[in-house]
Amino acid sequence: MTEVMKKRRRAGQRIAHGESAWHLTWRRFRNHRLALLGGTVILVLVLGAVLAPWISPYEYSRTNLRRQFNAPTFTVPTDARLLGHCTRPAVLFWKCGMHPFGTDDLGRDILTRVLYGGRVSLLVGFAAGLASTLLGGLLGATVAFAAGKLDAVFSRFVDTMLSIPQFPLLLILTGLLASREVSFAVRLSEILGGAKSIVVIIVVITALSWMGAFRLVRGEVLSLRERAFVEAARAIGASRRRIIFRYLLPNTAHVMIVQATLMVGEAILIESGLSFLGLGIQPPAVSWGNMLSRAQEFLYYPNGIYVALFPGVFIFLTVLCFNFVGDGLRDALDPRFGHRV
Amino acid sequence: MTAYIVRRVLQIIPTLFMISLIVYGLLALKPGDPIDELRFGNPGFTQADYERLIKLYGLDKPWYVRYWYWLGRAVQGDFGPSRRYGMPAAEYIFRYRLPNTLILSGLSLLVAFMVAVPAGVFSALRQHSVLDYAITFVNFIGVSVPIFWLGIMLIYLFAVWLRVLPAGSVQTPGIVGGWAQFVDRVRHVILPVTALSALQMASWTRFMRSSMLEVLNLDYVRTARAKGLAERTITYRHALRNAILPIITLIGLAIPTVFSGAVLTETVFNWPGMGRAIFDSIIANDFNVAMVALMFISLLILAFNLLADLAYALADPRIRYD
Repeated sequence: MTEVMKKRRRAGQRIAHGESAWHLTWRRFRNHRLALLGGTVILVLVLGAVLAPWISPYEYSRTNLRRQFNAPTFTVPTDARLLGHCTRPAVLFWKCGMHPFGTDDLGRDILTRVLYGGRVSLLVGFAAGLASTLLGGLLGATVAFAAGKLDAVFSRFVDTMLSIPQFPLLLILTGLLASREVSFAVRLSEILGGAKSIVVIIVVITALSWMGAFRLVRGEVLSLRERAFVEAARAIGASRRRIIFRYLLPNTAHVMIVQATLMVGEAILIESGLSFLGLGIQPPAVSWGNMLSRAQEFLYYPNGIYVALFPGVFIFLTVLCFNFVGDGLRDALDPRFGHRV
Repeated sequence: MTAYIVRRVLQIIPTLFMISLIVYGLLALKPGDPIDELRFGNPGFTQADYERLIKLYGLDKPWYVRYWYWLGRAVQGDFGPSRRYGMPAAEYIFRYRLPNTLILSGLSLLVAFMVAVPAGVFSALRQHSVLDYAITFVNFIGVSVPIFWLGIMLIYLFAVWLRVLPAGSVQTPGIVGGWAQFVDRVRHVILPVTALSALQMASWTRFMRSSMLEVLNLDYVRTARAKGLAERTITYRHALRNAILPIITLIGLAIPTVFSGAVLTETVFNWPGMGRAIFDSIIANDFNVAMVALMFISLLILAFNLLADLAYALADPRIRYD
């Protein structure tokens, strides 16, 4: 701030200065009520997942065979034998023996499992969403800037990948990496141990979802590279890498941020589908998807519906919120769409 | 135009070739072979048998050699046997699985289209009305809900709780012939089609709405209004015709998504279609079945992309391909 401005401010005068781009974006985003709501809900879900051990009086994997398929209940049973194992007698209003979302086929508390499952599902969503967008964006920017043969080959490859239905490919890849007979997969489980299925899912989803970001960023860069500021950068002798990272990619940020947000939701959906089929997150790890893997069988049991209901509601709610936020970000970041909807 | 069509059709061939290479390569990396299934279920199976079969099936050769053999036979229409079902893989897929999948996916696309166009148009005409917001909100739900979970909830609601619709499969065994069978099949198809069409319905409605809004602001619509045409005529004759154009391309692009969704829908509803067949054959190492099914779907996708481009050109005379 210049001396003049400081002097004026001391004098209580208002200084007219332009808003920063981020401030402007935030102001537009704030006006998008659903996006704001979505963002808040996501924050709450993340907090719930991170703080799970301090919120729930139960352990997520400890079974209680005296209380299978319990309906949601807020009354503590008088018979102490029914309580099962708790890590502490109560957390605030949640006493040991209460099951706000009911219990599953092994008597485990569903809310506790939803909280812990959120850790895995949200982690997979954030990691795969971010990684696939960065990978796709980087590749897209690089080939669009290089142009020529590299661009043609990559674009053709992406077109081909997009004409194969994704889900069977996901099945093949997860099956491959989960196998105990592939030496690479075995090495992987030695290194990662119990977290292996989580890492595998993130890698596989990333490997098959970067094409969206690739196309978007490639399209943007194709028009950006002809612009005067890129030409100027080239004229002052900026290296190719510098042009891509300092000039092109930052200018595609608005596309990438929206894409990454939507991809988080998409990745959570893919994870849930794979885990539902038994190829995703493997027990004892818990995710919203693998909580549903046997849910369909339990529909016919008394109170079996709660096993299916709550994890699905949380997947749905999370993806919905990411879509709201993505929509809000699109409106906020892209001035052309500002007045639509 | 003819030259363009010929060129596009010819382009399909190398693309299919690349797809087959990618899929075959991935499948071949997966350990285990179809012989495992024979071996584990059969105590009289000796090491000599194993080696003989490995040689017979060519499994001792590296995957690219096997791919080459496979390709050589595939271009002649022979996709190899399904060891699991004891018949040619192509016959199994086309005869027993394809019809079910076509019914499920075709109906889903049709239902999605029939709902999305009116809903989108309505939403655009009454922009900012309560119903517009309601439709927009439902769309968000449609693109956010996991297909298989929606299916499970539908089963619970209509099959377990209300008991008005069957929980799965294609038809009730024993009901054969005439009107009764038709009704029975329709009852079986309602829930899976609802689950599978939700995503497309929602995204097409959104698209239709914004497309319609864009067109309604164009000059020629104002001209039509200025010369005193009835609002009905403007909406349906002038605006809708142009607004619906971009949706045509979306139908082509939706096929891979619908098909991926079909794997899950078919699993939840115990629907004997191709998606489920691919899943089962990958798990059971019966790769010929997975290959022929995936190749056929990829061909379908490429063909529909081409058709969408052509339909677009036919519907919009401004677009010319040469």
